[in-house]
Amino acid sequence: MTPIRLATAGLVLLSAPALGQQQVPAWAQGRPDHMAQSTLAPHPPRMTVTAPGDVPMNRLRVPQGFRVELWAHGMPGARMMALGDQGTVFVGTRVIGRVYAVTDQGGSRSHRILAEGLTQPNGIAFKDGALTVMAINQVLRWEGIEGRLANPGTPADLTAAFDMPPDQHHGWKFTAFGPDGRLYTNIGVPCNICTFDRDRFALIVSFRPDGSDRRIEARGIRNSVGFDWHPVTRELWATNNGRDWAGNDEPHDTLHRIRRSGEDHGFPWCVGMWADPAMERRQCSEFEQPAASLGPHTAPLGMRFYTGTMFPEAYRGAMFIARRGSWNREAKIGYDVVVAKLDAQGNVTSVEPFLTGLLDEQAQQFHGRPVDVLQLRDGSLLVSDEQNGAIYRVTYGG
Amino acid sequence: MRGIRSGAAALAAALFCAPLAAAPEQAELCAACHGARGVSALEDVPSLAGQPETFLTLQMILFRERIRRFEPMNAAMRGIGDAEVEALARFYAALPPARPETAPDPERASRGRALSARHRCGVCHLADYAGQAQVPRLSGQREDYLLHAMRDYQAGTRQGTDTSMQAVLYGLSERDLADLAHYLATVPAAR
Repeated sequence: MTPIRLATAGLVLLSAPALGQQQVPAWAQGRPDHMAQSTLAPHPPRMTVTAPGDVPMNRLRVPQGFRVELWAHGMPGARMMALGDQGTVFVGTRVIGRVYAVTDQGGSRSHRILAEGLTQPNGIAFKDGALTVMAINQVLRWEGIEGRLANPGTPADLTAAFDMPPDQHHGWKFTAFGPDGRLYTNIGVPCNICTFDRDRFALIVSFRPDGSDRRIEARGIRNSVGFDWHPVTRELWATNNGRDWAGNDEPHDTLHRIRRSGEDHGFPWCVGMWADPAMERRQCSEFEQPAASLGPHTAPLGMRFYTGTMFPEAYRGAMFIARRGSWNREAKIGYDVVVAKLDAQGNVTSVEPFLTGLLDEQAQQFHGRPVDVLQLRDGSLLVSDEQNGAIYRVTYGG
Repeated sequence: MRGIRSGAAALAAALFCAPLAAAPEQAELCAACHGARGVSALEDVPSLAGQPETFLTLQMILFRERIRRFEPMNAAMRGIGDAEVEALARFYAALPPARPETAPDPERASRGRALSARHRCGVCHLADYAGQAQVPRLSGQREDYLLHAMRDYQAGTRQGTDTSMQAVLYGLSERDLADLAHYLATVPAAR
């Protein structure tokens, strides 16, 4: 019996199209033969403290009239940010497994480690006094968190209710509450390029805050690690990371406008009108088209609409987008914050550099990796830098 | 003859490098298992000498934060500050890597070499397996440890700073892993 069952299992495996792809690292899947000798590989993270004097403040550039300061530091791996009712900034991480809380006392900031030892707690959301943290296949919630930052205690474990896939690759989450009160998150695809269950992966999904009533908000989005809602139309907008190993300039990473729940944005077959040569051919026009290109391999992550009044009129209602920067491209690109501006119909009219200077193009070296943006109540803008464990604050005037 | 020559070279290198870096205080504790010069004589305990500094730093942080679980290392790293971690990493990275002591079994080494080529180990670990940045040196590493590490990655009981190792080892047999470990542990270190 055993040999027969083994043979059957073998046949099933052989007929699965993903088999060949799983034999190489997920980040190397879909690599054409002419790139087989490429030495491009993901950049190493930094998980030790960067001293404030070593944070490259003198490299940072913002448009005229703006200023940028070092707002908080000493938090290795700082990534996604969420703002508490009392002004606490909660910060998620990936590999180092921590959640930080930054508080401001009379103009100086201190931080504490709220949680540690988690599996990539990248998803951070705050609502009604509670902090929700999404790690890989783990959902935790601390009620009344700002009243007990020094001793947060044991969180409620909502993991079973949310029932997320356990896959590590692209399994880290962006998390936010929508204007409808539901909790939204991404479910990335557990490969570079492959066929997969399109009801399970490459999605943005929403839940009731207790984890019930899962709904697919967007389909065919390979891995979105940043989204926000238009302040007027309440439409969901999301950044998306295109696949690797299709060349230096293909495909582009993208910005998506999700007009209706459940729309299909084309992964794994299409990015806009670009049909992936590794996949079966499909008519790309049958899918929703991206609202804008954010450049090839730039890794656009956290994004928020600007709803403040501190910045000039031209920035109000625009989106700030952090681009962590490329690894799968011979000439590095990104490592900045861009601003995408819209017209009255919600069409993207421009994508312009906003915070730059962390990429030394001539030396092909990067000095920081912006991951998220967050508007404070005074209208200033925070930018997290994962590589330096720092948060910058951008102000205008004054 | 060859063994003697490489042994002499290692000794010369050790003597030459010794004054360059004074051992940090914690290294005394490390030495009990990893060897005074970062070359392990214990089964399943890795050699640290000549590993990339970034790799050593990241792994010590993963142990300290209990993301990588191994109780003796979790205990050893508890409360160690970032600056001390970085000093230890600098110290071990500067030590000369071990040279393979045993001659390879030609058949197993050749199988391991073919597997390494097919799975492109050399893309990240480099063609001479000296490692780079967050990617460890494989040449000069203990064969039993290499096998142990690959089993852990394959079983998902060890996490790296990304998921590459889980993905690359998917579907390899126990014999594949053993032959890979044999080949990598006996490949002559170019540097």
